[in-house]
This record gives sequence, C-alpha cells and structure tokens, in this order.
Amino acid sequence: MEPSVGAHAASLCFALVAAIFGFLSLRKGKKSHWTIVLMTGAFIAQCAFLYFRGEMRGKCPLGDWGEILMFIAWSLTLFYMFIGPAYRVSLLGLFSTPLVSIMTGVALIPGLLESSPERITKGSVDAWGELHAALSVLSYGALALGMVAAVMFLVLDKQLKKQKLTGVLFKNMPPVFQLIALSKRLTWVGLVILTAGILSSFKMHNFSSNSPHLWTAVGVWVAYLGFLIWSEVIGMTPRSFAKCCGILFFASLVPFALI
Amino acid sequence: MKVYCIGLNHETAPVEVREQFAVTAPQQGEVSKEIAQLEGVEEAVVLSTCNRMEVYLVVENVEQADDFVKHHLAGQKVSRELDQHFYTKEDTHAVCHLCNVVSGINSMVIGETEIFGQVKEAYRQAHAKEATGGILNKLFQKSFSVGKKVRNQTQIQIGQTSVGSVAVDLAEKIFGHLKNSQVMVVGAGEMSRTTAQSLRSRGAKSIIVANRSHERAVDLANELKGEAVKFDEFDKVLAKVDVVVSSTGAPHTVILPEHVEAVRKKRKYRPIFFIDIAVPRDIDPKVGEIEEVYLYDLDSLQQLAEEGKSKRQEQVDYCIEIIETEVEKILL
Repeated sequence: MEPSVGAHAASLCFALVAAIFGFLSLRKGKKSHWTIVLMTGAFIAQCAFLYFRGEMRGKCPLGDWGEILMFIAWSLTLFYMFIGPAYRVSLLGLFSTPLVSIMTGVALIPGLLESSPERITKGSVDAWGELHAALSVLSYGALALGMVAAVMFLVLDKQLKKQKLTGVLFKNMPPVFQLIALSKRLTWVGLVILTAGILSSFKMHNFSSNSPHLWTAVGVWVAYLGFLIWSEVIGMTPRSFAKCCGILFFASLVPFALI
Repeated sequence: MKVYCIGLNHETAPVEVREQFAVTAPQQGEVSKEIAQLEGVEEAVVLSTCNRMEVYLVVENVEQADDFVKHHLAGQKVSRELDQHFYTKEDTHAVCHLCNVVSGINSMVIGETEIFGQVKEAYRQAHAKEATGGILNKLFQKSFSVGKKVRNQTQIQIGQTSVGSVAVDLAEKIFGHLKNSQVMVVGAGEMSRTTAQSLRSRGAKSIIVANRSHERAVDLANELKGEAVKFDEFDKVLAKVDVVVSSTGAPHTVILPEHVEAVRKKRKYRPIFFIDIAVPRDIDPKVGEIEEVYLYDLDSLQQLAEEGKSKRQEQVDYCIEIIETEVEKILL
C-alpha cells in the first residue's frame, strides 16, 4: 500500500472518530474533550499525506482535486487547532470535524487522486508558484472555518428566533456576538492570506494575465473584500453576513476548477 | 449513638413558625455549641436559612434530645401546635436528608446552589466552636462530596427558574459578557427594576431609564447608577442600546416596528434583544420579525422558566439514586 494512502485513511479515521465522538458527547450533554486530540491526530496524518504526495510530485501537492481537498482539509484543521482552544469556542470542533471528514472522504472517490502523479523534473520547480499554491490553499482553511462559525451562528439564530432553547446544542453554543466576530476575523485572515497568494502568482514563471484562473481568483478576492468592507462600513445583518460567508466560500472554489 | 436530625422547612412550616426558631447566620456556631452541651447530646450542627432551620445531632437518647433541643431553641416548652411542624430523621434517613439538602433537591428552588455554601458555613462555625466530633465531621465532609457529585453528574443546576434569570441568560447567549452592553429600561416598574438589576449585576455597561414620569425615571436611574431620559426620547436611544427591558403600564404597544426600522442603519444592523415583561405587551410582536431582533415576552420567558423547573424536577430521581448509593458507602 502506498504510504500516502495509509496516511489518507488515517486522517479520515481520526476526523470521523472526532465527529462521531463529538456528536455522541453532545447527545450525552457534554462537550468532547477528545476532539482536539483526535484532530491533532488527523492533522499529523494529513501532514504525512501531503508530504508523501509532495515527494511523489516533486512539488507542492496541488495537482488534482483530491490533493486540493486534502490541502484545504489540512488548512481548516490547522486553523481549528489554533482558533478553537485559543478562543475557547465551544462546539467549533463539532461543526468542523464533519467538514474535514467530508473533504477527506470525497478525496477518496476514484479518479480524484491520481494514483501515479507525474513527477516534475529537478530544477523546474517554481518557488513563486509553490508559494502561491500554498498560501492560496491556506487562505481557504481560514475562509472555510469562518464559514463554519457562520453556520453555527445560523443554527443559534434560528433557535433564538423560534425560541426553541432546549437541548445541549443550544446550551453549548457560544454567544451570537462571539460567533459573528470569529467568522469576521477568520474571513479577514483568509482574505489577507489570499491577497498574498494572488500577489505571489504575479512572480510565477508561467504567469499569464489572460488566465481564467487568475481572473476568477481576482473576482473572488474582490467579492470578499467588497463584502467585508460593506459589512464594516455600512453594516449587514448577522444573518446576511453568515449567508454571504457560505455563498462566497463555495463560489471561491471555482478558480480551482480552472487551474 | 444515633445520628438525629430535627428540622422545619418551607414545606412543613409557615414563615411565622420558622422565624420563631430561626438563628441568625453568625450565631449558628454558638447555638451549635450550646446544644452540644445539653445532656445526652454529643455533637451538634445548627443550620438556619430563610427556608429551613435544622439541627443535626449525635445523641444517645432520641426522645430526650428531641425535647431538650426544641426547648432550647424555643426558649420554652414547645406547644403541640408548634411541634407538629417539625420533622425528624434518624440514622440513614438523617444522612440521606443531609445529602439531599446539600445537593439542593430539598430546596424551594430545586438545584439552587446557595444552600451548599450555607451548609458549609454552618458546619464550619460548629466545627470552630468544637460542637462537632468524629461522627458529624465525617458525615458533613462526605455530604459535601456527595453534593458535588450530584451537581456534576446530573443536570440539577441546568436552566433558569425565574423570568429575570432566564432573560439575563438569554442576553448572555446573545452578547456574551455584558460588560460592553448598554441596557435601556422602558417603564420604571418593579419587574423592570429587578431585571435591570440582574443585568447590572452580570456586568452590563450602562443603564438608561425612560419613563412617562421623568421623576421616577431619575429615581430608578440613580438606584441603578444609570441615566434617565425623557420618555419621548426612547426611540433615539434605541440606536445605541443592546438590550431593551420594557414594562410600562400602557394599555397599548409602545415600541413599534417603525421605531426599530428607523435606527437599523445607524446601528449597522447589530443584534438587539427586547425583553417585554409588560401585560398588556409593550412591544409590537412584529418587532420580532426584524432579522437582527430577538424579542421575548413575559409568556415566553415564563414558559422557559417553567421548562427549567420541570427539567430540574426530572433530575431529582437521578439525584436520589446517586445519594442512596453514596450513603450506603458512607455507612459501610
């Protein structure tokens, strides 16, 4: 078995167990203390997967959809590990682990991961290209986690509006303001990293100003910037903000299709 | 030697009876010492709160101790009429009762936490006055760990049981810490005052009071260390506050959707929490349809408080199971 396959399976197992544990703990009315431990396991397995794939390709492993999904899952896990404990955002793990599991699981669909990726020749590695790819995917981790916080807000908002305040989900949810602030902060962080990612692409060997990938990426960047400035200057209802976070995140995946 | 408990509480005796036997909190240790010196009494702890007056004893002869202790507390022989309000518990029942009390399942508000500290303080005072010995020391220490276990392993403390505390909890669910939240009180009634005080005690940054009688608004604002505004200016204040507590005596709605719509842009669509505790309602229910508005009226708050109470009630059986298992271990 290829080592990358083992690492892939391990990361899926860790993320799935974390999701199931989180859900079962919630049903018992408790928060799972194992989420962070299991997500650390998933993170290590993801690192190993990306390392093996990087070795196979001889460059940053972003050559197919499977690798892109795994890279985004890695980035999301990384941000979760930083943001979760630091801000003590209860239940962020419960909402993040299924997303990581789905991304990791979808990457297993036959055809999404090339079984024998082409290894590029030594000396033809473009450092700016690698930096561009790494920063761009890293930004997606922050944007994805921002979306997770936004979804958590939508769930809490619905419960508060409908006055259905029973259940452990409601009890363990962080306050509305904290979720909105976290979502906003992560989206800003994602945008800053995305800016650096796009800027680094201008230095790439094969940079082309006519590339549809570039223009859709710039379009996504403009949309995020406009959205954040609008919400800061003019203001936006938290519900609209949360919905925009979700829509923009999925729209932001379009540039990947145009690589 | 027997462990014996004599007591009165809110279920067995009206306040006018309880107050005849009440001991002030600082005197509990002294009275425990006096009782421990009575003939036939080896150890004693007096626990006196607003809802209960209990004496935990280690005695040789239960009947004799019962007479002496009641006589000592009343300052005279207790009449049959008063005596009927007392309950007594012996040995295992007394131990279970103490654990029930410490766990809050014997309290007027089931699961309340204050009683734990009150029992601890009563025991501390009695211990300091050397009114306790090996048996009560062990029993009280064990009861504290049982109380902690019950509170940790069940949901006896979950949820709020009063309208004010439900409202304050909701405010915290929306805004997190209230230290950055501004509160406006519309109407200077008792309910507004109590709710505003709860919000203030949880750290609300400032309180603004609007009332038809400006004089009363000023009085309440002074009491809450806040600021009073004229009643017809409340709609302008809406632009800056986070929580609105409304309890006017008006026969019609006072806060309308157009008041909120007018300030949405200025507020940059920040969430706002309306607590309508007036009957008839002060806030038009359509206000609650505005996206960033959370509106709760008295009925919905009362319903949540009732749900909290019934959930705690549901937990009592689990608590009793834990207590019985733990008491068996204590007695082994």
